Amino acid sequence: MFEKAYLCLLMASFLFALGFAVIFIRKSIIAILIGLELLLNAAAITFMTFNRYVVGKSDGQVFSLFIIMVAAAEAAVVLAIVIRLFQTKESIHVDEMSELKN
Amino acid sequence: MLPEIVLLFSAFMVFLGGILLISTKNLMHSCIFLLMCLFGVAGVYASLGAEFLAVTQIIVYIGGIVILMLFAVMLTGGKEFISRLHKVLNLAPLMGDKSTYMKGSIVGLIIFGGLSAFFYQLLKVLPLKEQQVSDYKIIGHSLLTDNLLAFELSSFLLLGALIGAAIIAKPEKVSESKPTDI
Repeated sequence: MFEKAYLCLLMASFLFALGFAVIFIRKSIIAILIGLELLLNAAAITFMTFNRYVVGKSDGQVFSLFIIMVAAAEAAVVLAIVIRLFQTKESIHVDEMSELKN
Repeated sequence: MLPEIVLLFSAFMVFLGGILLISTKNLMHSCIFLLMCLFGVAGVYASLGAEFLAVTQIIVYIGGIVILMLFAVMLTGGKEFISRLHKVLNLAPLMGDKSTYMKGSIVGLIIFGGLSAFFYQLLKVLPLKEQQVSDYKIIGHSLLTDNLLAFELSSFLLLGALIGAAIIAKPEKVSESKPTDI
């Protein structure tokens, strides 16, 4: 049982580290959104694992459902912003979005 | 026996999909490997006894978000697209180069090591026991009683995201061409 729980949490930490690494590595907005989805999935797996092995009942499951819902809403808005930026600037490179910098 | 097999298979899918996702240089392939990764996560939910969550994950992520991402990739140029400013501003390439890979892998390894050590210590302390996980009836009941406020707020959030996305992505109807300020 310890091994199964630890494998799930290992997967969660792998996805979290992977999400951060993707955000650092890529320079495209869509790829950064992919990293963000991985971070949210890591959080949801952690909730579900502790729900299964420590807490029981339905609380962690409901939290994971809300995380999936927030991820869906956020992905829709971010992709709309990406399409809008591509219309005006013809680029999806993060370093070119620097109007608010100075 | 079956949950263990499902768990091992989905762990394989998550790890392989993650490695491939970060090593490919093509954004389209990256989205496809994200799909593989998310399918593995759905398998983890199924092996933990949360079938409803697994099905929701498949419907929302694989049926919705990844398809939306693929459309966004295709609408913004795909892999052939190369910005004309890269040469001028001396920017890093869109999918990263050696220095960003170096930074990213250092950050990732530190976070992975720290989190896995933390979870190992935590699981040693906690009293582990295979608990009963609620089925969809109890989840639906709890969404409409204990978590009613969050449920209603999430419906408002989804409505706001829908309207906001439609307004943001609406094509502008200006007649004069805007000068690019570069």
